Amino acid sequence: MRYRKAKQMKNNKKLKKYLPLTEATYYIMLALVEPLHGYGVMQKVEQISQETVKVGPGTLYGAFSSLEKEGLIRMVKEEQRRKCYQLTDKGRQVLVGQIDRLEIMSANGLPVREHLVKTLDSDE
Amino acid sequence: MENKTIRKFKWFWAWQDEAEEAWLRKMSNEGWQLSRIGFPTIYTFRNVEPQDYVYRLDYRSYWKMEKEDYLQLFRDSGWEFVEEMAGWHYFRQAAQAGEELEIYTDAESKIGKYQRLLAFLGILMLPLFFGVYNLSKASYGWVPIIQVFNALLFVLYVYAIIRILLRIRQLKGI
Repeated sequence: MRYRKAKQMKNNKKLKKYLPLTEATYYIMLALVEPLHGYGVMQKVEQISQETVKVGPGTLYGAFSSLEKEGLIRMVKEEQRRKCYQLTDKGRQVLVGQIDRLEIMSANGLPVREHLVKTLDSDE
Repeated sequence: MENKTIRKFKWFWAWQDEAEEAWLRKMSNEGWQLSRIGFPTIYTFRNVEPQDYVYRLDYRSYWKMEKEDYLQLFRDSGWEFVEEMAGWHYFRQAAQAGEELEIYTDAESKIGKYQRLLAFLGILMLPLFFGVYNLSKASYGWVPIIQVFNALLFVLYVYAIIRILLRIRQLKGI
């Protein structure tokens, strides 16, 4: 039991080195919960981020190669000469870690936001 | 009728990639579209209707993934691959009103491009450094000429590296 806990802690530490993800990497990994090729990822990221994030091909290629090297994504199939990637288990763990961080961030920010908006109104 | 072509010799230093992009765009607006680049940096342009094309340069000298995947990704997102020259990849796309066309969409990945360039310059600099060091101990015949040449090249490399480091710092922002 203690051994398993120690192992888990070590594992968490290993995953922590990937966090925080950049905004682009976060969205790329989020898109890759399903198998997608590069251009598919670009379209999906633009759509789900409500056009707040656009990923150019230079940025995406770099992200793909480093995510693959780190074993966070892997090639799952090829469609019309385009390689499709998907998250690995390790990638899923990292993404969960990132989402947890974001949850804390927004939990901290939301009450402050309310206050900020109010003070903005009273200034006008 | 065959399109008229012109050749132009123009030199850009490693840290002047954005100036080169701007120049290629200006040429395209004047009706000259880049068709190829020969060694050493002789640009061949084809005479076409003046068009506003945005040019972007990417630097990659080694491939973690296959190069064909890389080019496919650029093609899919609307970029035409024009030419490759010493690790620099030239892409173009017709300008669109109100839209900024970039191949790198965040500072982190753009910094990555300059880091790859730095790594390449760093590797090239090693033999140069030892050349300067070894030759500084000899002083006969034509050696001084090579010494001066080597030293100049060395200074140029150091300058290029500083310019690129400054660019990276600027991209890092606050």
